[in-house]
Amino acid sequence: MISSMVRWVRRIFADFDATHREKAAALTVMEMEELENIFALLLIGSFAGFSSPPTFLAVELLPYMERELQILCKRAKDCNDMLAEMCGTIGID
Amino acid sequence: MSAASAWQLSQSHRVLIVSLDPAHNLGDIFGVVLNHKKHRFTDSLYLKEVNLQKLCREYLERETRVLTDTYRYLQTINLDHYFSVLKYSPGIEEYALLTSIEETLRFQKDFDYIVFDTPPTGLTLRFLALPRITVTWIDRLVQIRRDILEKRHTIYRIRGILDDKETILSYDEKDDDILKRLKTLKGNYQTLSSRLQGEDCGIVLVYNPDTLSLKESKRLIDGLRDLKLPLRLLINNKIQIKYKAMADHVDSAMQALAPAVPIQRVALSESLLDGQNSTLYDISETILSPFEMK
Repeated sequence: MISSMVRWVRRIFADFDATHREKAAALTVMEMEELENIFALLLIGSFAGFSSPPTFLAVELLPYMERELQILCKRAKDCNDMLAEMCGTIGID
Repeated sequence: MSAASAWQLSQSHRVLIVSLDPAHNLGDIFGVVLNHKKHRFTDSLYLKEVNLQKLCREYLERETRVLTDTYRYLQTINLDHYFSVLKYSPGIEEYALLTSIEETLRFQKDFDYIVFDTPPTGLTLRFLALPRITVTWIDRLVQIRRDILEKRHTIYRIRGILDDKETILSYDEKDDDILKRLKTLKGNYQTLSSRLQGEDCGIVLVYNPDTLSLKESKRLIDGLRDLKLPLRLLINNKIQIKYKAMADHVDSAMQALAPAVPIQRVALSESLLDGQNSTLYDISETILSPFEMK
């Protein structure tokens, strides 16, 4: 009985810790994803009408760009309401 | 001119001449059939014509293979072959030309001189500019990549590992495939750039004694100056006695553009005009070697 209580309390503290860590990292995660988005956009920007690096550079890096391209697509999908997403990230309701 | 200078140099040195011009006529000049491989013309002279299409195809096939390997699961539904469309990517020709120069310089160590016969001005300037443009782009991309890795490291330190099944994004420079590839590319291009700008590399500009050629040459000299590439010799080619005044005018204009660079004059070849079956590479004028002159 006592050991299950201890486990329960421990679990509460662990979840509390994880929640705070997630909150603390949320803004940095968003910054990182924006940077990854910019990286992908710079590399294959010609699709969106930006000046792009020499084509072969994009071809060379394309095989390693799965994550960046996913983020690029996600950003393109959410770009209509980026303000709401930023407010959500920094905790403004 | 490149064939003639290679022939003359080969009388006392070991020489390789490589034609990069898509409209090859090196084989026609020497009266032999050339392919992508090195051809021995004499003991001291070797000829090679670069097959640009083949180079582009090989490069894109290599990249397509990497992509296909990454997305191997698509083989199960027979969709992997769609990556083959990459072989039609534009802008690869300059890269293929540059790769050809880089590989020739790296692997052909047995020669005293390597002469490259380049394509027309526009394409030549584009591929000569490629190392510098590429390094500039790579520097920017490396900087962004480092910022991304720094953020990932920060996130890792704050969050730690929440779940055993969680994928940890690489945050160390040594583990990031993109950064590793960018650094390798940068190293290659910096080496090539310094080779092209080095003391033992020189560009010889061949022009004709007419106004259009003069204007094109001006653009080329400006381009070379921007790229900090060494112009070592000017050749005024196809001079005719009756147009000597024009040749003098063009030469003085060229000399004003590149004061320290010597000018060599070559007369219009009679055998080229009258269709005689003579050796086109053997001309009467001695073409100066820009390196022997030093």
